[in-house]
Amino acid sequence: MAESKKMMRVEITRFDPDRDEVPKTQEYEIPVQDDWKVLDAINYIKDEVDPSISHRWSCRMAVCGSCGMMLNGEPKLTCKTPLSDYDETIKIEPLANFPIVRDLVVDMDGFMDKFRKVKPWIVRAKARAEDMEDLNEKGTFSQSPDQLATFKQFSMCINCLLCYAACPVIANEPEFIGPAAIALGHRYNLDSRDEGQAERNAIFRGEGTVFSCSFANECSEVCPKNVDPAAAVNQAKLAAVVDWAKGLVLPREGA
Amino acid sequence: MKHLLLKLEPVIWLLFGAGLSVGTMLLTGFVLVVGLAIPMGLVPSEALDYERAHALASNGFGRLVLLGLIALPLWKGAHHVRSLSVDFNGGDRDGVVGVLLYTAAALCSLIAIVAVVRL
Amino acid sequence: MTRAAHPEAMAPPKKGPTRTAPPQIPGSWWGAPRIRTYLLFGATGVVYFLAGTVVLHLVWALGKGPDAWAKVMDDLSHPLYLAFHALTLISVLFVGIRAFGTMMPKMQPRGGPLPVLAPGLVRGLIYSAWAALTLVFSLILAGKI
Repeated sequence: MAESKKMMRVEITRFDPDRDEVPKTQEYEIPVQDDWKVLDAINYIKDEVDPSISHRWSCRMAVCGSCGMMLNGEPKLTCKTPLSDYDETIKIEPLANFPIVRDLVVDMDGFMDKFRKVKPWIVRAKARAEDMEDLNEKGTFSQSPDQLATFKQFSMCINCLLCYAACPVIANEPEFIGPAAIALGHRYNLDSRDEGQAERNAIFRGEGTVFSCSFANECSEVCPKNVDPAAAVNQAKLAAVVDWAKGLVLPREGA
Repeated sequence: MKHLLLKLEPVIWLLFGAGLSVGTMLLTGFVLVVGLAIPMGLVPSEALDYERAHALASNGFGRLVLLGLIALPLWKGAHHVRSLSVDFNGGDRDGVVGVLLYTAAALCSLIAIVAVVRL
Repeated sequence: MTRAAHPEAMAPPKKGPTRTAPPQIPGSWWGAPRIRTYLLFGATGVVYFLAGTVVLHLVWALGKGPDAWAKVMDDLSHPLYLAFHALTLISVLFVGIRAFGTMMPKMQPRGGPLPVLAPGLVRGLIYSAWAALTLVFSLILAGKI
């Protein structure tokens, strides 16, 4: 006995730069299963209805960060969001605040540029291991669980960019470095092995400054990995102010 | 304009933070009594007749509290209105808006200093 | 319904090989409950700025002398002033709950000399300080201390 499948209307943004002046919406009516995630619906459309749809996805388990899109106006991971959260219609758009390459695919290069700015790597004053005084007998860094706990939460970012889609400042101030990049820079500032705080705090006070953040907290609300970038950005503000105040009183050598 | 603001952001943010925390804490008691309870007759107005009000206000600590009560909400307000401006597609005008608002806050703060000094 | 974000939002440092459509914001953004609360939070800035000028007006009158002070205290009974102060009270409560309840617990510096306290504890501490300060200040102003 055939079960009658539930039908759903899926509205998807379409944009082909060779054919379209502006993005438009295309509607599909498809049968859906109870246990589907939104990504399953998009893949069904691509496999069975319209192979011309372009969208990003990979791991299907919310660790790769590829499948971020706007679902009824909210930035979500389509592999993580149950289709049953939506009634008869779901509107799927590419991530807000990003240039649209094609359909549901956005240009991530702007983010990669901001990401690089914060020096997301361990910065050491001395370049050669032989000159580093805090290495242990094996010639490596030792780090206690407490020291790890200081920054671990901020290292869990999967670069899904939902926070950039949610941030009102990113929508309006193009130079703002943004939640994920600042959170990652702050992660390195908190890392006991790192000696680059002065450099990063100067970057945090420069163009795209952390102080542009207006604490809307939307980034943390939409983050699928509980990184809490709002906490990182606002802790970074405090650290940057302390750094600035120290700089007024004590002259800095080099850097 | 934006570059000038960039240099001043740490100070602006500290003033904003003080306005948000200390300003809110001071304003609460003030608005409860002076803004509402006394005018509504719930507290006798003699509590803040000229002699008592002047005595409270003109000791050193009183002047400081009053300065905070005026200036801190001004800086919190200026910064938040600037943020609101950005939220309403105001990224490009942010430099000008910021300078205008902070200048207003600074001017009123200067007048506040004069006001508490001449008590 | 869909609106434009800033045309340069998240723009790549160099133009790519294909034409891109400009960045968008969903039309539902403005009406979303969390966003409305956030915009209201920013709007309290207007109330705070005006409140600062009102206090300045009062202090200036106090400096002028007894007559000016009596007049200004009398003015405070005007319905517009009462409405403004009621609005100010609502604003400070709203700002206090958002700032002390959600913002400050998150901003605790990590890795430094101070321990990181549980958010509930930080909230409790700051709320207590707020209540205590308000009580003391109110009692002083009301002539009970």
